[in-house]
Amino acid sequence: MEYVLHIGIMLSIYVILVLSTNLTVGMANLLTMCQAAFYGVGAYIGTFFLMQYNLPFVVVALAVMLATGLTSLLVSFASVNLKGDYFILGTLGFQMIVYTILYNWIDVTRGPYGISGIPSIQILGIGSLEEIYSYFFLALMLAVLVALIFSQLQRSPYGRILKAIRQDELSAQSLGRNTTRLKTWAFFISAAFAGLAGLLYASYVSYIDPTSFTLNESIFIITALFIGGIGSRVWGPIVGAAVVVILPELLRFVGLPDAVAASLRQVIYGVVLIVLMFLRPQGLLGNAKLK
Amino acid sequence: MIGQFLINGIITGILYSLLAIGFALVYNTAKLFHIAAAAIYVFAAYMFYLFAVTFGLPLIVAALIAVVLTMGLSWLTDGLVYRPLQKRKASNNVAMIASIGMMTVIVNLLAMFFGTETKVIGRTLQNNYVFGNIIITASQMWQFVAGTVMLLLFLLFIGLTTWGIRFRALSADSMLYETLGYDKTKTRNVVFLMSGAFIAIASCLTVYDVGLDPYMGMNVLINALVAMIIGGVGRFGVCILGGLVLGIMQSLTVWQFSSNWQNAVTFLLLLILLFLRPQGIAGYKQRTI
Amino acid sequence: MNDIRMSCFDLHTEVFNLLDGVNMSVEEGKVTALIGGNGAGKTTLFNIISGFEKDFKGRVSFMGQDITHKSAYRISLMGLGRLFQGRQLMDDLTLMENMKIASEDTVGEHPFDIFRPWKVAKNEAVKEQKAIDVLIKVFGENNKYLGMLDRKASEFSYGEQRLMAMARLLMAKDQLLLLDEPTSGVNPSYINVFQRIIRDMVEKEGLSVLLIEHNMSFVRQVADWCFYLSDGKIVKSGPADMVLDDIEVRRDYLGL
Repeated sequence: MEYVLHIGIMLSIYVILVLSTNLTVGMANLLTMCQAAFYGVGAYIGTFFLMQYNLPFVVVALAVMLATGLTSLLVSFASVNLKGDYFILGTLGFQMIVYTILYNWIDVTRGPYGISGIPSIQILGIGSLEEIYSYFFLALMLAVLVALIFSQLQRSPYGRILKAIRQDELSAQSLGRNTTRLKTWAFFISAAFAGLAGLLYASYVSYIDPTSFTLNESIFIITALFIGGIGSRVWGPIVGAAVVVILPELLRFVGLPDAVAASLRQVIYGVVLIVLMFLRPQGLLGNAKLK
Repeated sequence: MIGQFLINGIITGILYSLLAIGFALVYNTAKLFHIAAAAIYVFAAYMFYLFAVTFGLPLIVAALIAVVLTMGLSWLTDGLVYRPLQKRKASNNVAMIASIGMMTVIVNLLAMFFGTETKVIGRTLQNNYVFGNIIITASQMWQFVAGTVMLLLFLLFIGLTTWGIRFRALSADSMLYETLGYDKTKTRNVVFLMSGAFIAIASCLTVYDVGLDPYMGMNVLINALVAMIIGGVGRFGVCILGGLVLGIMQSLTVWQFSSNWQNAVTFLLLLILLFLRPQGIAGYKQRTI
Repeated sequence: MNDIRMSCFDLHTEVFNLLDGVNMSVEEGKVTALIGGNGAGKTTLFNIISGFEKDFKGRVSFMGQDITHKSAYRISLMGLGRLFQGRQLMDDLTLMENMKIASEDTVGEHPFDIFRPWKVAKNEAVKEQKAIDVLIKVFGENNKYLGMLDRKASEFSYGEQRLMAMARLLMAKDQLLLLDEPTSGVNPSYINVFQRIIRDMVEKEGLSVLLIEHNMSFVRQVADWCFYLSDGKIVKSGPADMVLDDIEVRRDYLGL
């Protein structure tokens, strides 16, 4: 039973991650390769708060989201108006910079040694979440809440103008919209929620190190997004997260050695991605075209 | 002291240039963000390892086989995936995602077959060449000589031969190219074969003493991409300029700070470049309308 | 006074000097046409005025304010609307959505506005009403589009989309409209509709219009004033009829 709850928690974390990525990729048409960097930034900043202060969860969450969002400005400032390929390159570069800092700034992040003993979350200042049941409940609630928020965003005038920008940015500008600012907001919010996922992750597994937040992880998140589907439905990212979290567990029952299973799983994702690009590039449940 | 670092930088730069050319060949002519090049790089390394270590063939032979096989793989990425996708009018971003898919597949297949621990090819101690204060290892000498030869040949190729001119024409205007009656498919075949060759050569020259692991590809590729951007997007010869600049800059960073931070400096440079001058030193400016 | 004034351009693209000294004033309350051969620089001029082209020397002023090198969206907010060549409505959005994004009121278009649904709802209703009013104004009472507001833009014909793209320019508080080849590629039977809409915009809404056109009879029907651009310079200017009847214009441009 604990196993199922563990899967549920990881699934919730990835749902939040993939939903956040959909905002930039699916809605604003900004193909980002640094989502894991924000995930990592959120995890480390969250760890800092959890270990130094005794604050209620809501405060920590908002602080982490704000901080991670601000980090996103470092890359969006330089790249949000660039042509697609260059933007991707910018996010790639940012991902590598963040990883290098996390790995080498040992004084602050303890680099490859990682940080252990991360305390669990305090809910409403009442009690702390020691049991896995509580964590599951919290993660699930957050995932649902985040899904609702993104669903609202997509239906809102903001979602509409993002759709317009994706279709024809120049026309949107000629209608008086500050597309730079709108895209930057999308990136900011996306990073903020990735940071929230990082906070959840850090306090749940109580040990983090840079290897969880590599470029491979960013690619993994993107893969999950494209499998599930990009666009304006929240179910796409949810299904995508489910596929990439649950499939490995199914493989485990087949009985392959762990190392091989990990690589095999990646091969399967790769093949699925290629096939999808041929047959259904918007993903299983997606409804947006990749431009 | 600085001399040593400069030489190191130039040699590293040559390797970056080779890989950058491998990428740029595809990117400029087919407009594809060829992320799979990272996997092709890793494939070449493992083929080199397979034939040099596992089968015990002489190094040169092993390297040649690796190059040929890699050229084949490079061609397959186009024949099996890119071209069919473009025939379905898939957008370039879709092709890029497929490229990511290919990279994942190739890299992880290699990991499944060869394992994920770092492998080494050159096991014996090497001779060193000493020039005054400067020491150049044997593999560095190989990198320098073979690399420079390849780069010079490439410059001659792209500047003077018919195919070279065709590559440049195709990069500049693919529709016009076709209208003028040139066979885009044949040209693409040559492009991908050449790209595979350059990537393979860069890989074999590098991994001989550095070693190889399945996940080294992206890091190296991104460095090559930075080199390409520094030199100038859209053109071929300037990849060499970009590679050398990057190699030297990284070496100087190691000299002044430490090797840990050279990645961060590289990518910081990338972000600054993207902001100030995305077309690089000598590339084409991108137009929006 | 509501006009555009430009002086002494030097537009250097990578390859050559595209515009080479343009002095132009567009008068308020009139329809002004800009004609000239392909590649003469007309669309580039539009890009400069509306802020999409920044690589030039010179000055552009609009309604007494200097808009040189300002960003496109800012210039638009100052009252400049634009119809692009070849671009219509946004395919994936519905007709109503296309109309709404043309409103100059951007309330609700901020992500945090999902936390203020009441304000947004009220605002949306206002925009919807305005959209309906505009459609009635342009296409008449009981026009068929009022029943097609939820159709995606891609379901309408090219000509219809073009008309709607022009119509939605009335959603904002624009003073001057730049229309880039409004009738190009449109079924000739629609052209009278275009003419009526443009004249209504000027006479009933008090707008000014600057349009690029290749269709000379249309220019004659609709324009008051005309500029002839050739080789990057304004070579002739005057009342539309006069310019179109000018011997040099007819020889160089129309080949007559």
